[in-house]
Amino acid sequence: MKEMNPNNPGKTKAEEYIIPQKSAYSGTVNLLMSMFFLLIALLIFLPILLVIIISFSSEESVTELGYSFFPKSFSLDAYRYLFNSGEYLFRAFLNSVFITLSGTLTGLLVMCPIAYAVSRKEFSFRRPMLLFLMIPMMFSGGLVSSYMVNTQIFHLKNTYLALILPGLCSTWYIMILRNYFHISIPDSLIEAAELDGCDPFQTFRLVVLPISKPVIMTVSVFQSFSYWSSWYPALLYLDSNHTELYPLQYVLVNMDMSIERLSRDAQYMSGAITYVPPAVTVRMVMVVIVILPIMILLPFFHRFLKNGMTIGAIKG
Amino acid sequence: MTETEKMRDERGSNAAAEDIKAGGEQTEPGSLNRPSGYTGKRNRIFMLMSLPAIVWYLCFCYLPMFGILFAFKHFTPKPGEFLLKNLFINSPWAGLDNFSFLLRSSDMSGIIWNTLFYNFFFIILGIAIPVFIAIFLTEIHSVKFKGFIQMVMVLPYFLSWVIVGYLVYAFLATNEGQVNHLMRIFVMEGIQWYQSPGYWRVILIITELWKSTGYAMIIYLCAVTAIDRSLYEGAVLDGATFLQRVRYITLPHLRPTICTVFILRIGTILNSDFGLFYQVPLDSGSLQSVTQTLDVYVYKALMQQANFSFSAATSFLQSIVGFVLLMVTNRIIKAIDSESSLF
Repeated sequence: MKEMNPNNPGKTKAEEYIIPQKSAYSGTVNLLMSMFFLLIALLIFLPILLVIIISFSSEESVTELGYSFFPKSFSLDAYRYLFNSGEYLFRAFLNSVFITLSGTLTGLLVMCPIAYAVSRKEFSFRRPMLLFLMIPMMFSGGLVSSYMVNTQIFHLKNTYLALILPGLCSTWYIMILRNYFHISIPDSLIEAAELDGCDPFQTFRLVVLPISKPVIMTVSVFQSFSYWSSWYPALLYLDSNHTELYPLQYVLVNMDMSIERLSRDAQYMSGAITYVPPAVTVRMVMVVIVILPIMILLPFFHRFLKNGMTIGAIKG
Repeated sequence: MTETEKMRDERGSNAAAEDIKAGGEQTEPGSLNRPSGYTGKRNRIFMLMSLPAIVWYLCFCYLPMFGILFAFKHFTPKPGEFLLKNLFINSPWAGLDNFSFLLRSSDMSGIIWNTLFYNFFFIILGIAIPVFIAIFLTEIHSVKFKGFIQMVMVLPYFLSWVIVGYLVYAFLATNEGQVNHLMRIFVMEGIQWYQSPGYWRVILIITELWKSTGYAMIIYLCAVTAIDRSLYEGAVLDGATFLQRVRYITLPHLRPTICTVFILRIGTILNSDFGLFYQVPLDSGSLQSVTQTLDVYVYKALMQQANFSFSAATSFLQSIVGFVLLMVTNRIIKAIDSESSLF
């Protein structure tokens, strides 16, 4: 049977099972459908491809042909320009990296323990605790009050914390973690650990965490992608005179201002010669810089992603 | 841990094991036979483990909940005083004034209409297209190819609306945009997209579908792959056509998932994605008649007009209407098919 792919020994048993053993289709239908999906994938990827091409186009080509899939000439001017543009953009990049790493790490440190606690039957306050976690999914104070609380009670305006803290936890992620702890880790293992004299925290740290890497990966992928893409907190909590805190995404929101700032920096650095930045292509280079990490990481994290959604789908 | 405690633990765990052997239907196995100190200690450790998250939820979820009051007060803060005092003591009650002003204001009907209009299409197309694609994608033979397609399709989901705004801009910019460029090749006048509200309903719907279809599709794909393949094999042996198999096997199995998604989406029918309606049209003034939705209004009332009461009243309306609709939809679906309801 030709559906059985002998070149693909890496398949799990489950994946092999998915392949229709008695498929009703000829190879032609399968080929046509594959073409159809290739077309869809291409359509979906097209805008991203366009932006990548623009970022490598020369400025003259863009002024003449516009944003084109087939530019007249390629150039690295915009990239060169950005890499020489001084601190502003580099700082923004570092800010984004810092927010992503610290947010993801702290988030996991806060969410994993409570997820384990609510996954254990012997925790007497498990049900009230679950309710405590669920209520905010249904009710929230709304934008006004969280804005007022964050700015007037916690004084988060114009701090890194404003970009990290509000997105730190999510009941959804806690539930994904909890379901994994609850379903995929055998009770006997935990009992054995307790027999050996572990208290719940030791069991969690020494036994449960090491074998929960898939789900932890899943949640950290979601969490880090969402921090990397976040711009709304910056819009709410950062003033225009605190540009040193801007993450990349927010630099893009304020692009016109950013271009001006970049050219000012460049003039300062290149010694007072008025230099017009390749403004049109520079925007797209920044977009590429933001998209690139996601595109590079997605192939590696793709399987974890699906993992999480399958686990999330089994509501415990 | 002292030696005696260790022994006590051991005894406790043995007791738990015995409980399980005895098959007792206790909600907390072992807690009855254990020395009382042990359960307490274990609960304390569990509580300690939960503590950071509890603090976070109290600060960022529960503390802001009092903010519902903003909707029922004329917020008149005295400078220099604490927020809670300003809200509870210094501000007079407004009753339902904020709501009646809000609903009587001239833009409001348009804003609500926009929100409902977009959500209607997002719900219908956001379920139909991913289900359609998931059903067909399962039929592809090659596992690797399937994985590749999924990966490409889910990529847009992880891009922020800021980025999506730029991607749309690359197509629709008046001078450099790809679309105008193509139109000029075919000797047509370019269109000033960011000044022409007429097209944006379609543009925004396409943009949203482009971003969300892949992710939604994976959810249904998981549900389709969970279906027992022998059902299909049997159907093929009995001579069922592809459409019959979809109609009588796949769709019935997908019904619970579809219903869950549908109920949850109905619950957020007055919500809209702020980024899509604010960042993608680049906050263009001439597009406001079609891009203004409730969440954009909530943001603008707060950040641009500093109108706390109206903003809060809008948020309150969104959540209360959403909650009621969610309950009603859930009840209706439960009446039709009790397996598919959310709770």
